[in-house]
Amino acid sequence: MAESIAAVEIRNLVKEFKTSFRRKPLRAVDDVSIRIMPGEVYGLIGPNGSGKSTTMKALLGLVAPSAGQCSIFGRDSMKVDSRDEVGFLPENPYFYKHLSGAETLRFYGKLCGLGGRELERRVSELLALVDLEGARDRRLGGYSKGMLQRIGLAQALVQEPRLVILDEPTAGVDPLGSRQIRDLILKLRDQGITVFLCSHLLEQVQEVCDRVGIIFRGKMVREGKLEDLIAIEDQSEIVLQDASPELLNQIRALVESTPGASVVRTGKPRTTLERLFLREISEDEP
Amino acid sequence: MSNAVHISPKGSHIMRIWVIAAHTFTQLVRMKVFYFLAVFAVIAIASNFFDLPQHEGPEAVGANVLRSIKSWSLGAMTLFSVVLSVVATALLLPKDAEDRTLYTILAKPVPRFDYLAGKLLGVLLLVFVSLALMDGLMTAVLHVRTNMVVAQQVEMATAMGWPADAVASLRAETLASGPNASLQGAVFAVFLRASIMASLALLISTFSSSTLFTTIVSFLIYFIGHFQADARNIYLQAGEAGEGLFARIASLVLSMVMPDFQLFNVIDAVIEGQALPMLSLAKLTLVGMYYAVFFTFASWFIFADKEF
Repeated sequence: MAESIAAVEIRNLVKEFKTSFRRKPLRAVDDVSIRIMPGEVYGLIGPNGSGKSTTMKALLGLVAPSAGQCSIFGRDSMKVDSRDEVGFLPENPYFYKHLSGAETLRFYGKLCGLGGRELERRVSELLALVDLEGARDRRLGGYSKGMLQRIGLAQALVQEPRLVILDEPTAGVDPLGSRQIRDLILKLRDQGITVFLCSHLLEQVQEVCDRVGIIFRGKMVREGKLEDLIAIEDQSEIVLQDASPELLNQIRALVESTPGASVVRTGKPRTTLERLFLREISEDEP
Repeated sequence: MSNAVHISPKGSHIMRIWVIAAHTFTQLVRMKVFYFLAVFAVIAIASNFFDLPQHEGPEAVGANVLRSIKSWSLGAMTLFSVVLSVVATALLLPKDAEDRTLYTILAKPVPRFDYLAGKLLGVLLLVFVSLALMDGLMTAVLHVRTNMVVAQQVEMATAMGWPADAVASLRAETLASGPNASLQGAVFAVFLRASIMASLALLISTFSSSTLFTTIVSFLIYFIGHFQADARNIYLQAGEAGEGLFARIASLVLSMVMPDFQLFNVIDAVIEGQALPMLSLAKLTLVGMYYAVFFTFASWFIFADKEF
């Protein structure tokens, strides 16, 4: 990626909310800075109420920063044109229940200036991408939670944005739906689209993100490349296939005979409950 | 992704406003608001039976029923259009914010003014179509009934030996009480009043936290608007108060921000059979447009800085 302009640039963002009962304003975001380069998948993680959604809203101009600046591809977030190349999926979106899946995408497409055959092509393409072709003409009132999230993701992509912002994209979605959304995020990454997502589901973030920021009580407490953040620098891991007990004993003896080295733990690697669940239900499928 | 999607440069404001307006119209139609037309049809037909017996002469035969049809129909149009304008506008904005659909719209390159103007236009479109349908029904009922009344009057006058020119004059007079341009002007005045109420409800809903609050305050202003001109005149004529500069400025400001709905009393005059001069209608249109534009821009002023 030859572009040098950051897809997302948040500089010293502070957001305070006035409260009726307290004289002191509530500081939801406290001096947060984030820089996301084009093509990156960035995960902002933190507990509920830590300031993740407020940071995203400030980036989208839905709230005005109390201090600091936000920009998207170099354009000030408070200006409308900064949203030309952004797709946004809010947490638990409901959308218009009276519209069908295709009508929803048409509506958002038209808002972005699309029309005619080009819009129809895009609608069909997106419905195929999020696997909702079968529910194309069904009203959103009859969609499941996972389907709503997927149509939400499709509307976020309608104008082929270079940046996609996802707020808790798998909140309340079952493991299968969650996997579909994660696969879509990985597809976006392969297409070079920048993704900025926030979640408190850490495993999900670990699977898809290149870089991660940890936000707590409005402050950025840790930020960096995922592998740097989660690697235990003074430990190494070897995973063996079909190793006999004798071989394991030999390895253990070799390590113990080496000064300064020790075996911390041996055993069988475990899959996650989620992977087990997905494997089992995919095996049961006809 | 496949071929790059062409985005027209920033879209156009008019296009975006129209997209939101058309969507709002569809949304309200799918909320089955047109069911009230059945109620209107019952009112329009029922008003045919309010014919008080009068036997002074042929000219009085059926006069009441024609007035009754216009009165009931325009009354029902006023009621439906004002309620629809206020409730629909008061409902749409908070609902979008609550469902977070507003986030998805404002996260697209949609200026906040376009969103507000689109919502308002959608409601006005619905009110306009509703009034047009009600007007069509009223005109049809009135047309049929006027012809029946004319036939009755002519028959009675002829039987009483009225001269031909007097019968012709009576016929022309009765036909003037039927569907005419003034009546259509009165329906347009009903639409103008509903437009003012919709834009007022839009303004209130930009800072209100609930649909109920917006609805109650809007109706309160609606009722105040019917006597604010009287109150102002009494205040200005009450001795010293009326002579002060402050009082005059306060009165002017009040007139600028608070619609005077007494201007719409021309609708009652039309029901009574008076003509609605083009000049009066033009003046009413300007007043209606002034308040609608003023309230819309005031809404934008508040909504532009609103945080979600």
